Amino acid sequence: MATTAPKAGAFPSPYEIETPPGCEGWEEMYPYYALFDERRRDTDEHRFWFWNSMHFPMPMPAFDVICIDSPYQAVGAWQNRVFAVPPAMGIDYRCINGYIYISGNPVTDPEKIAERAGFFQERAGYYFQNWSELYGKWRSKMEALINELADLKVPDLPEYEPDEVAFGDDRNTAFYEVLDAYPRALRLGDMMWQHHFEFLLLGYGAYGTFVEFCKGHLPDIPDQHIAQMVAGIDVLLFRPDAELRRLARLAIETGVDGAFQQGHTPDEIDADLQRSDAGQSWLAELEKVKDPWFNMATGDGLYHYYRSWLDDPSIPYASLIGHISALNAGEQIDRPTEEIQRERDRLAEEYGSLLDEDSRAPFNDLLNLSRTVFPYVEEHKFFCDYWFLTRWWNKIREFGALLARNDFLDDGEDVFQLSRYEVASALDELVLTWATGGLPLGPKHWPPIVARRKEILKRLGDWTPPPAVGVTPDAVTDPMTIMLWGVTTERVQEWARQQDGGSVLNGAAASPGLVEGIARVVRSVDQIGDVRDGEILVCGSTSPAWAPIFSKIKATVTDVGGVMSHAAIVAREYGLPAVVGTGRATAAIHTGQTIRVDGSEGTVTLL
Amino acid sequence: MTGYIRPLQRLSRSDEPTFGGKSANLGELLAADIPVPPGFALSTAAFEAFVTGSDLGQTPDDARANAMRAAPVPEAVREELTLAYTALAEAVGVADPPVAVRSSAIGEDSQEATFAGQQDTYLWVRGSENVCNAARDCWASLYSPTAIAYRARLAETGNAPAMGVTVQLMVDAEVSGVMFTCNPVSGDPSMVAVNSSWGLGLAVVGGEVTPDDFLVSKVTREVVREHIHPKDVQYVPDPGGKGAVRVAVEGDRREAPSLEQADLERLVEVARRIERYFGCHQDIEWALPRGETERVFIVQTRPVTAVAKKPDKPKPASAMSLIMSTFGAAPPKDA
Repeated sequence: MATTAPKAGAFPSPYEIETPPGCEGWEEMYPYYALFDERRRDTDEHRFWFWNSMHFPMPMPAFDVICIDSPYQAVGAWQNRVFAVPPAMGIDYRCINGYIYISGNPVTDPEKIAERAGFFQERAGYYFQNWSELYGKWRSKMEALINELADLKVPDLPEYEPDEVAFGDDRNTAFYEVLDAYPRALRLGDMMWQHHFEFLLLGYGAYGTFVEFCKGHLPDIPDQHIAQMVAGIDVLLFRPDAELRRLARLAIETGVDGAFQQGHTPDEIDADLQRSDAGQSWLAELEKVKDPWFNMATGDGLYHYYRSWLDDPSIPYASLIGHISALNAGEQIDRPTEEIQRERDRLAEEYGSLLDEDSRAPFNDLLNLSRTVFPYVEEHKFFCDYWFLTRWWNKIREFGALLARNDFLDDGEDVFQLSRYEVASALDELVLTWATGGLPLGPKHWPPIVARRKEILKRLGDWTPPPAVGVTPDAVTDPMTIMLWGVTTERVQEWARQQDGGSVLNGAAASPGLVEGIARVVRSVDQIGDVRDGEILVCGSTSPAWAPIFSKIKATVTDVGGVMSHAAIVAREYGLPAVVGTGRATAAIHTGQTIRVDGSEGTVTLL
Repeated sequence: MTGYIRPLQRLSRSDEPTFGGKSANLGELLAADIPVPPGFALSTAAFEAFVTGSDLGQTPDDARANAMRAAPVPEAVREELTLAYTALAEAVGVADPPVAVRSSAIGEDSQEATFAGQQDTYLWVRGSENVCNAARDCWASLYSPTAIAYRARLAETGNAPAMGVTVQLMVDAEVSGVMFTCNPVSGDPSMVAVNSSWGLGLAVVGGEVTPDDFLVSKVTREVVREHIHPKDVQYVPDPGGKGAVRVAVEGDRREAPSLEQADLERLVEVARRIERYFGCHQDIEWALPRGETERVFIVQTRPVTAVAKKPDKPKPASAMSLIMSTFGAAPPKDA
């Protein structure tokens, strides 16, 4: 990214950010290379870094740092070493007070760019030409990987090894099994991230090119119309909710809908259903749906906090209650797929016919290619971020439970307060002392560390990170930064202007409409339950798995994200105004404040 | 009737040399079933009879306008005009119906040179005597200082200037304005740009108010952008029965949107029909009658003369080369 000498009054230097009171020593949670280190100050201070609040809206727990390293290893490998995107290598990250700032590495040498262009054209061209076939293989690879994860056993440490170890062939002792299973679990995660990014850049790039083409030739076209022309009809991501709607109808048809009372917990509802034959058959039907459709996450998956619907059924049950009461009120709850299909084709046809002769062929080609790549763009979230990742976190929880059973941790969940290296170290001592019968130090060593870090994370959660640090770039030229985060030159200039404060926030107009209402600032997924009917959701970013929230709120404002971000996609699906990528909505707005959201202009006014 | 006057619905493009662009265009619109207020047109022959009969041949250009306003309208023209006006009154069932009398110049409304605005328009004219006088004033406007200068700038060939006149039933507009069948600023062909304000069209066309500004999608009829401006003044028919008067817009209406979604949808519908009929982008004046704003009347239309071409409008390129440039991988030179 092109940068110039530091300008006064823009973003703070990353080296001048103060540690919030009580958070001293936060650095110990993160790898040495993740910090703004004095030894790298000469370069780091002169770069532009923006807070990746789209993926990391909360301070990172020590273990969750693996979900920064692995994705950036994977995206860099594909972008820089496989496809060789000509002007942009990969993404560097740094951590300040637990929050993640990122910056792209540009390629500036014209000869190097030309050399990379040769690779890119050939390799990206191959993917685009063979997309459907390659993507078919990708789905098989992902399903195999998910099965492999399910099959990975986290062994216990027995008092005596079973007879098979003594008398059978090829049986390992538990110390080896534990030390083998843990790195394998980590490697399966790496493999998922590798798959995750195989198609992502090209998929987003093809779609992004279509978006730019439309905006060049039809400068006033609403973003929503572009998305409508491309969006899939039979989308995997809509299946979970479609199954819930089917179950809602079934509950009514079989007369068990009375169990779904507003305010009842899933356990209370289940207990109620168990009392009748019809209720039991309904529960049996629910069981069939759960795999795979309840592998939805309660959030975008980059933190261990996000559980799946299987772990926390309150979200699907809230949806069921909503669907059943809507159906009983005579409302239509089905996604009108035929109508969506008709409208999608009509829009494509009409816009095509309004273009001049020369533009029609590339319009149609780009549209068709966008439609080809879109299943991946939409579905990889389900396979990777939801299905795989929620199960993967649970696998790590099994190691946490092992450590907790042996008093290395007070609670299995505390495993996420240790880095992945510290977990390896704790497991090493655990199996060592299990084997030797010696006195472990772990139970004295780890719990105080965990307690301190939990306190630090809590305090860091109340700190508001600036949208960017370092120097303000003259222009944002990194195509990946623009494509994946919606961070454009205009956006950065807006952030810089807003450093002084102001009562109007600007972002991307992601879903049209104008509403006023009470803001509800949601910083983490466990605050979702606080959202009241008719409030405006203000958050770092959202994911489609928050669907039930979207039926409650009347608009959305996010800190980071472009018109393709999940908040934007879901808001359009629900017909709610949305402004995304404001940079500082969660900092500037507080819960209870009245705000006006103009999703057509991309502005949020604090009233 | 002899040849001086013809009802608008009997005119077409080929009558432009004898009836002028505005009248011919209105005839075309009627043929396309576009709602246009009824009326009739005076041919250039009426103008020529007037000039010949008034013996103005030797009057220098800059003195002509005044001389013309004092000269009598030829009896034959006057009789035909009175007949046509009476027929119009009978057709609409109103005695002395108010009409708009407008010049319909030869060469006006052509795509190359917009002559519009160089001649006068007389609104809310009632009674055949007043209509005759207004027609004469239109003719005289051909020699107004601005019209003379305009012709000089166009370096017109030696042909003597000639002019037709359009007489059209007046719509007492509750709302009126202009619309383009594209966004003239961005060049987007999928949008209709609508400007509107209260009362007769004068306020918008004459630039006396900042009109409400809407951008409406042709594809979905959604309002993509809107700016509602305070509208301080409007033109309404003079209560005395002659002409239009400028009055203040009262109270809440100043800040209120002058069009609603349903109005915009009807306007876009008509705009698309007009655009399809003419095959090119149109600049359209319209009016919604007082008390029945669900009706749309088109007062005139002409080709859009100046659409801002987007300076960075992308050059035609193949889909794959566009994707390559998204990633900063410019296509090979020979691609």
